[in-house]
Amino acid sequence: MSALSKTVSKMMEIGARQKAEAAQYYTHVDGVGPVPRDIYKYVKSDPLGDLPRYSVHIVIQHFLVFITFILLAATGLPIFFSDVFWAPYAISFFGGIDTARLIHRIAAFIMMFAAAYHIITIVGGTIRKIRRHEFDYKRTQLPRLKDLFDLVHDIKYFLGREPFRPKMEKFMYKQKAHYLAIIWGNFVLIAAGSALLFPDIMANLFPETLGKILPLGGVDADSYSAFFQDLARLMHADEAVMALILLAFWHWTNVHLVPGRFPVQWAFLTGKITREHQIEEHFLEYLNNLREIPEEREYLKNLLKDLRIDSAKTLSTDDQNASSSEQPGESGEE
Amino acid sequence: MAGIFIILLFGSRAEAVDEYNCLMCHKHASMGRIDQNGKRWNYNVDEFLYNHSVHRNIECRDCHTYITKVPHDPVTQKVDCANQCHIKPPFAQDKFSHEKIIAIYNQSAHGIGAEDADVLKNAKPYCKYCHSNPMYTRISEKAVPYRESLQRCFNCHPQRGVIQAYRHITHRLRKKTSRSSQEIVPLCATCHQDVALMRKLNVSERALTAVESYNRSIHGKLVQLGSQKAANCISCHASNALHDIYKKDDPRGTIYKDNIAKTCRQCHEKTNPWFIKIAVHPSEEHGGNPIIYLVSIFFRVILYGAVFSMVGLMLFETFGRWTDGIKFFFRDGTSWRGQSKRRSRKEK
Repeated sequence: MSALSKTVSKMMEIGARQKAEAAQYYTHVDGVGPVPRDIYKYVKSDPLGDLPRYSVHIVIQHFLVFITFILLAATGLPIFFSDVFWAPYAISFFGGIDTARLIHRIAAFIMMFAAAYHIITIVGGTIRKIRRHEFDYKRTQLPRLKDLFDLVHDIKYFLGREPFRPKMEKFMYKQKAHYLAIIWGNFVLIAAGSALLFPDIMANLFPETLGKILPLGGVDADSYSAFFQDLARLMHADEAVMALILLAFWHWTNVHLVPGRFPVQWAFLTGKITREHQIEEHFLEYLNNLREIPEEREYLKNLLKDLRIDSAKTLSTDDQNASSSEQPGESGEE
Repeated sequence: MAGIFIILLFGSRAEAVDEYNCLMCHKHASMGRIDQNGKRWNYNVDEFLYNHSVHRNIECRDCHTYITKVPHDPVTQKVDCANQCHIKPPFAQDKFSHEKIIAIYNQSAHGIGAEDADVLKNAKPYCKYCHSNPMYTRISEKAVPYRESLQRCFNCHPQRGVIQAYRHITHRLRKKTSRSSQEIVPLCATCHQDVALMRKLNVSERALTAVESYNRSIHGKLVQLGSQKAANCISCHASNALHDIYKKDDPRGTIYKDNIAKTCRQCHEKTNPWFIKIAVHPSEEHGGNPIIYLVSIFFRVILYGAVFSMVGLMLFETFGRWTDGIKFFFRDGTSWRGQSKRRSRKEK
């Protein structure tokens, strides 16, 4: 008797788990049907991108920052490392130190313009979306607690403990961290760079205003300006070197050289993301795409029809169905 | 106008003034001797170099006054730059002499004082230490407003008439005739970089590392990279008299605490009382300030933390996706072309 009840409860447990797994695996989309989580393995994508991700403004801003950053690094590094052997050659490439400094300043102003342009774009776009009642904070760069759980989930997936990657929004944890780092870096570089460019104005400004508020350990009032100038010298150089190393060793590699993106991810030119990339890393944004783009809905409906996935399977807890639905197409599994 | 140009072009080819025919002997390259200590002395005078030096119009005997007959006796005296020579500057009554600038120089930190110790007396530079004729052969020329360069002329020449003479006759004063920053910094560094020598002379702790700290500053970096605008040693440590270099606590010095603002204002027009406290010679890498030290540690931690965690996560991610069957290249519209090698999925 007790053995029987144990078996029954165990079977019920298995049934509940399979139900939950099926709910995880399939997402029901109106007008399409059940969308399996691993559909990205079966879709066709255009390497140049299928789905909208960045507006033309963002693409232009990225280009402005991209070009000016290279110019700034090329003219700034030889000044910071002025005693290394290649510094005079790098400077003579720009036509002498005075010209190089001028180029550095012009590039810095263009980069600041790009930052202002970006803020206007973001604020303007947000206001427009709020007015149309389309604004959704989940589709923005605002960090959430979910990003932390996504990171843990993702690490489990990389280890093979989870079958699929987390269902993430338009911007995942990595991109949000990078975006915050760029805001911080821009703030530091612009503030410290201004202190270096206008030492006389900054010397007046900092002691008069900040110097009296901030607790400065071991700094007497007489050397406030010296302290802030030393701080600016340190922060400008260290932040710039950090940004350069991160961009050179992480950003470029992460964007262009990882599987599925190699040799170039074209999003920086086209502003579009490939379909398989969108479904894999930004599944929730893909669901938004399905809602907003009729052609995409049509495409996926036809694909699911070809793969013989129908709506009946979403609700089914039948063992046979569940196992067969896990291998649509030729996903060579026993 | 054309006549002036002709004189300028061809006039400079005139030979050196050599009334007493000193070059008869001194033109020989092997002119010299070896003294009792085995030291070699070279008495050769290169006519070409001399003809292109600023002293080309001065007789040998105007400076070497102790020579009264030819052939002359062994020389025991040194040249005195304060001698009057036979050149009479325009609009002046007296013969020309460097005595005014030498008077300024003798007052400065480099002038030899009566109470100086012997080691200090020997270490202090004299005229010829910094000004040697070969260095005058080529100068980097740069246009300078004449009012600025004329300030220097008044050190020796009487003010009256100099401006007319300058505007109408002289050509070379229209160009900056001082050495470039790239020459001045190494020249001062020959002594001031020598920490052992400076320690012997009892200079202050900050002065010991003056060259090193200057090269760390933005002025020093720009001069190293060839800037003609950035301040060199004498831009701050001397006025237009050029030789009036004083110690920090001497009220006559350009770097005395009451004079610094004026000195900085030569380049930084918006100089204010706070600005002059910024360290021109950054003493240590982090100024010896604990907050700045902590900030530098903070940046270093962020740098290594960010680079290693992000690159590590990327490699980890690539490994994870690779085992799940993704390939690097797109082919036929997909990059998920491989077999998943995942154990957990196979067990299902």
